[in-house]
Amino acid sequence: MTAHYLYPAWLRLWHWANAVLFVLLIASGVSMHFAGPDWLIPFATARVIHNTTGILLTIGWIGFIVANARTSNGHHYRLHFRGLITQLVAQTHYYLIGIFRREPHPFHVSETMKFNVLQQLTYLSVMYALMPLLIISGWAFLYSVYLPETVFGIGSVWIVAMTHVVVSYLLALFLLVHLYIITTGETVFANLRAMITGWHRDTTPGHDSPQPPRETP
Amino acid sequence: MTSKGTRTTALTVELRPFPKPVATMPSSRGVRLLFWCVLGLLVGIPWTTGATTTSAPSAAAMATTDPELERIAAEQHNCLRCHAMPTLAYRSPTDGEIVDLSIDRNALAHSAHAELSCVECHHRSYTRYPHPRRAAPRDFDCLGCHRDDADPRFAWDHIETEFAHSVHARSEAPNAEGFSCQSCHHPHRFRTTQIGDPLTWIVQEHNQVCLSCHTQLISAASASHDWLPNRAAHWDAVRCVDCHTPADDHANHRILAAEDSPRDCVGCHSADARLLARLYHFRSEEDIARTGLIAKAIYNESYVVGMSRSPLLDRLSLAILVLVVLMLTAHGVGRYLVHREHKRSS
Amino acid sequence: MNAVAHALLHSRLIRRLAIAVAILLFVLLAFYKFVYPVVFDAYIGKSNAPLTYESSQPLTPAQFDALAEELSQEARRTAAEAIVSETDNAFARLVKVEMLMNTPSFIREHEPTHLKYFREAGILQYEGPKTCLQCHATIQVQHHDGRLSRVDTLDDLVNSVHFKLQSDTGSGFSTVGYDGRLVNAEGSRPIPVGKINRACGIPGSFSWTGWAALIESRPEAAHGEIELRSEGCGQCHIGGNYQPASEKMMPIGDVPDVAKEGIDCLICHSGEYDMNQRYVIQDRVGLRWNQDRSLRAALTVGRVTTRNCLNCHQHNMGGDAYLHNEAAQALGDRHRRLLHSGAKRGNPFSPEDDVHAAAGLQCTDCHVPEGHKIPRGRMGVDLVANDLPDVEVSCVMCHTMAPHNRSEHRALLNGHLDRLACETCHITELQDQNVVLRDWVHPTWDAEEGIFTPTDVYRSGEVNKGFTFMWFNGNGTFLANALGNHPDGSDEYDPLMQQLAKIDDPEVIAAVRDKAIELQATYPDIDVDAYVRAATDPLSQLTPEQLAQRRAMIDENLREHMNEGTSKIYPFKLFNAMMYEDLGNQGPFGAMILPFDYKSYYETGDAAASVKQAIQDPIVQRMYQTPFKLYMMDEFMAYFGVADGWQTNYPLVEGELRGVEPRWMRQMGSLMVNHGIQPQGRDCIECHAPNGILDYRALGYSEERAAELEDLDIVTNLQPN
Repeated sequence: MTAHYLYPAWLRLWHWANAVLFVLLIASGVSMHFAGPDWLIPFATARVIHNTTGILLTIGWIGFIVANARTSNGHHYRLHFRGLITQLVAQTHYYLIGIFRREPHPFHVSETMKFNVLQQLTYLSVMYALMPLLIISGWAFLYSVYLPETVFGIGSVWIVAMTHVVVSYLLALFLLVHLYIITTGETVFANLRAMITGWHRDTTPGHDSPQPPRETP
Repeated sequence: MTSKGTRTTALTVELRPFPKPVATMPSSRGVRLLFWCVLGLLVGIPWTTGATTTSAPSAAAMATTDPELERIAAEQHNCLRCHAMPTLAYRSPTDGEIVDLSIDRNALAHSAHAELSCVECHHRSYTRYPHPRRAAPRDFDCLGCHRDDADPRFAWDHIETEFAHSVHARSEAPNAEGFSCQSCHHPHRFRTTQIGDPLTWIVQEHNQVCLSCHTQLISAASASHDWLPNRAAHWDAVRCVDCHTPADDHANHRILAAEDSPRDCVGCHSADARLLARLYHFRSEEDIARTGLIAKAIYNESYVVGMSRSPLLDRLSLAILVLVVLMLTAHGVGRYLVHREHKRSS
Repeated sequence: MNAVAHALLHSRLIRRLAIAVAILLFVLLAFYKFVYPVVFDAYIGKSNAPLTYESSQPLTPAQFDALAEELSQEARRTAAEAIVSETDNAFARLVKVEMLMNTPSFIREHEPTHLKYFREAGILQYEGPKTCLQCHATIQVQHHDGRLSRVDTLDDLVNSVHFKLQSDTGSGFSTVGYDGRLVNAEGSRPIPVGKINRACGIPGSFSWTGWAALIESRPEAAHGEIELRSEGCGQCHIGGNYQPASEKMMPIGDVPDVAKEGIDCLICHSGEYDMNQRYVIQDRVGLRWNQDRSLRAALTVGRVTTRNCLNCHQHNMGGDAYLHNEAAQALGDRHRRLLHSGAKRGNPFSPEDDVHAAAGLQCTDCHVPEGHKIPRGRMGVDLVANDLPDVEVSCVMCHTMAPHNRSEHRALLNGHLDRLACETCHITELQDQNVVLRDWVHPTWDAEEGIFTPTDVYRSGEVNKGFTFMWFNGNGTFLANALGNHPDGSDEYDPLMQQLAKIDDPEVIAAVRDKAIELQATYPDIDVDAYVRAATDPLSQLTPEQLAQRRAMIDENLREHMNEGTSKIYPFKLFNAMMYEDLGNQGPFGAMILPFDYKSYYETGDAAASVKQAIQDPIVQRMYQTPFKLYMMDEFMAYFGVADGWQTNYPLVEGELRGVEPRWMRQMGSLMVNHGIQPQGRDCIECHAPNGILDYRALGYSEERAAELEDLDIVTNLQPN
């Protein structure tokens, strides 16, 4: 059994802060978006929550980007194009078919690379494309008065609104998948535990033989 | 009620029904403006004859050779010599309240009644001072003139019916007593809203009418409308009557009581919003011409919180989310079944 | 080891430094507290000393009880008589009064409050503010916005206009300099402005130079016997003792405590203040004003009443010679105060001539005090200080904008409020003694009083003679000219070239000519024609260049201030004076006027010698020196319309006046009149007729409108028959 220290303290702290903010943002965002029914957070409250958590999320995201640039964590986000397609196919195959055939995981976590290629692509697009879009559109909402009235003949606020909504849906989608995928580790809670303790434990280090995913009783 | 970009001139402070869209649309903006102004005149004061070309009717100031208008101007001038005094007023001996007799010369000149001689409504004997001492005559009856209006668009009987059902007519509160057209539509100042009037101005102007009686609402301590998120912003941007008249109609004199008025956000904050159907009608012709009609509609939508809601997008997105949840569940169940199988076999 | 020593050394260093700083602060404080006041007094040539007053005598307990009983009885009797006044039968009245006088509840209710307080505190002598402050060290103040605060009483008073004769710099003026700047507006360098440093042609002196004087009069009736008379600004202004509170003019420093002990609380607060105690006394330090500090006055203190205010203020309203001026009936047990026969405003506040006084209203009903700060309203033309510039004092506060209720034409009358001030109709005339033109340069011998007095060339209380009508928006110039304009923004209305700069009423001109001829008998140098022209057309004293400059300054600097706000037509009392002027400090609107020394003026009638005497006063000399120039005079001159600053050429060289000439001011001052309100206003026809009292064209109405206003068919219909 080997253990890799994959998640330094700052990263875990950021991750969980981010998680809490995501939940709050979704709850308040949904409340405002579908404002009206009683079971939602009251509009005025939701607005304050959304604004505050949005600002915090921005700070967290900037912190993450800076930290990624300055620490070794950043290399997990560097794409290696050689063999990309092969790995992609292998990983997809594993999730769709292999996992049911108890085939071995085609990817092994190490200090040099903690993401499989699917993860890497997803996180890359989430952290470097969707998040900035979400944040920029969110801030544009906050300061919509400074926006030009129209962009290309289309109301700029509408563009902002639509961007924000579409990105929000995509991120909600990501969250769902993310929550599920973490159960596909060594054990159902292995990945969750790793994100809490920082240590990724692997019972079959460097082992090529298939390991069955284990369900806890 | 309007279509193809035709907008109404007779957006009136008194919320009359809108004129039907007119068949032809003049091409140039200037001509169009003139056209609407003329229409406005016809609509606003159809009983005057001969006034067809001026856009800012001011009987007193108008340099005209029309002897009829000159006569009216002279008559108005005679009355306004006193009644234009801003402080022409007295305290009523019965309740001590100040009774204001002054008329804003400028407002009158821009009002719908600008080209009426004062004695058209006020009794003939008012041409002399001192005026006859008697109670305010009841003959200032708007429908007296307006009922016979040849223009079917104004459906005065309909307005009367609506008003009869209005909270103002039915209320038994003592200060609702004697409620009449003039309570809201000041005969010396109300004017038809003109193309190009800024939206905020229209909202303000309309709400001022309500707030002149419902003063307690403006008080900072007032808890009224507390349920409304961002109350101040709503009051700046939404007319009272947008919520306090039946939803199915554009302009309506049936003012609803507080408890009958809608309280749902979505009523306005959605794509087929009531607001769009009403207030945003009043966007000026020029504005639409500048930005294009489609952009205009989208643009208007996005300005309201909740307008980020696009039902199609929402439905699609929610469907995808549900689908994904189902897929993930299926995947999980599959994994569990495999796991169980494996456990049993080993 | 080394480090410890270092730290020790270090801490010792710090300790030494701290001690040094403390000593420095102490020295500075001591300097400010003890040395600065002495130095300042020496600089301006004034002195302060502990003050004593003869009337402040200790009583024995028995005397106190007797006095208390007497005051109690007096108060009771007054109240009882008021109650029974409705009873017709004189004897029945007497009996009722006697019964009331012995009714226990009535006795309790009408005993002067302070009898009890003084008795409990064992106070047997009134010693000025010290005595009052024993209980009233702080007072609660209700502000006009409803705020409540607690202030130090003495501090509140010392910083009020009544004491320091100026407002806090930086606020309180709607006064515009001829250079177009608002006086002491935010962003400008504030200068002290108020009676403290402003000469005026009505008293003819500064508060510095004319504070207190003992005049040796030679009344005819006394056949050559000399009678000492009191004169000076200090008779009314409660502040100061041997001088006004000049210390308050400076950015630092305070009035010495001994001077604060001279504050006369009782003249405002006592129900039985004896104005006969108000006269000039001479002690070893100098001349100062005596006060009533008797226990009798102290025991009858209470809230300020109209009578208290009028102890002083009837002087500038009805005037000293006003028939119903009560204070003028009690001129002093010794050194009787001199009466000024010409009235400053001629609009008395008394039941005989003012409807509000007749209705029993107190001054403080309209001028609602906030502690010792008293509002004079938002409108001010005369550059007099204002404690509460933001507090409104106006008719409509009580009367609303619809004040007329009885007349059939009430609405029409109310309609006029938009254009006319209430005073315009409800002050139909001023007192006859209202002085319009005063010549200080050619005094007249007053045989009855035995003094030389300035010659009032023209007095009148009549409309368009003693006062006229002008547009007024609340702004005034640096020389008290009302600013305002026809609401249409007319260019025709031009008060500084017309209404205030020219007298063209032939009757007035004739009266001035008569006076000039009369004066010529005493002063043969007078050229009657030139005299009449200068008095009635003061602009004729300007050179063409000065005239052009004046024209330009009015248009460029004052027009915009005339067009501000809402103007209404107000009545303004007119005033001009011929005085000696320092022509080295002259602009198109006037020159620095020089003060007269009352004593030499009244006794010798030598106006020039009197000026020489007055300007030798140290503070006037200081005025002509660089520190004062830089501190305030340069700015003063800029507001005055003189661009090159204050010229420090002292106008007295080797005993001769240099660069000093007698001149009429270049325009008349306009003083607001707000009292002497008559219930019956003017008739319509007084204004709405050809040659009515309002000159519509001069007020900027168009020819068409003026003609219409002069010939209203409505008014014609209203006239009887």
